[in-house]
Amino acid sequence: MERPPAKAAPDAKQLRKLAGDWLKLRRADAELSQADLAARLGLKYYTFISQVENGFSRVPTDIMGAWARELGLEPAAFARHLLMYYEPEMHRLLFGAESK
Amino acid sequence: MSVVAFERKQDGGGWSEKELSTLVAAFGAAIGSGTGREWETGMTEQGDAQFYLLGPLPEQACELCVSRISGRYILEDGSGRLLFEHRNLELVALHAKAAVPSTSWLMVRAITLWCAIRNTIHEKVDPLLVEGEELLVQFVPQLAAFA
Repeated sequence: MERPPAKAAPDAKQLRKLAGDWLKLRRADAELSQADLAARLGLKYYTFISQVENGFSRVPTDIMGAWARELGLEPAAFARHLLMYYEPEMHRLLFGAESK
Repeated sequence: MSVVAFERKQDGGGWSEKELSTLVAAFGAAIGSGTGREWETGMTEQGDAQFYLLGPLPEQACELCVSRISGRYILEDGSGRLLFEHRNLELVALHAKAAVPSTSWLMVRAITLWCAIRNTIHEKVDPLLVEGEELLVQFVPQLAAFA
C-alpha cells in the first residue's frame, strides 16, 4: 500500500520561511542591516542572520531575548510570536486561537 | 592591442559551477544513500552566496552552512556556531565533510539491532526457561518425596 506524504502543509520548512520573512521585516523596522544585528548579538559574521531569515534555521533560544531587544521588541511577545511558526502545536496548546 | 581574459574570481553573487561541485562532492555521502538530506543555496542581503545542507523530513532544518564573504569561506552549523573559515574552499569542504552529523544513522542502526536481538531472546529463549521452570515445579515435590 502506498503511504501518504510524510507531512501535511504547512510544513516546518514553510513555517520557518514565514518566520524568517517576519524577522526580516522587524529588522527593517529597527533600521538594522544583517551585519549590524550580527555585531550587536556578538556574532563574528552576519551569515547566521541570513540563515535564519532565509528560513533554514531557527532563532536559538539562548539569544532569543537579545535578538528581540536589538529589534526593539518585548522578548516574551517575540518568543511567543516565533513559537507560532517554530512549534505551532505548542503555541496552540498554550495560547489557543488567540491573536497572533 | 589584445585583452587577456582572466578567470573572474567569485567574490560576490551566486556560486560558480566549480565551487558548487566542490561542495556537492564534499556532502555527496551525506546527501545520497537515502539519508533524506538535501541541499539548497541562498544569499545574504549583501549578495554573498550561501550553501545549506538540510536534514531529513519533516524538519529539513539546516545542519551545516557554507557562506562566501569577500573570497573567504565560512562554515557554520545550524545554530550559527562558527566551525571553520578559510580562503581555500577545498579545505573548508574537507572540514564540512567531517562535520556532517552521522551519529544518528549509526545510532538508529545500533538501536534497531539491539531491539531485534532482545525480541528474539524474548520470543525464543523465554518460553524455554518458563517451560523448564514449570517442569521443575512439577518434579520437585516428587523428588522431595524420594529423598
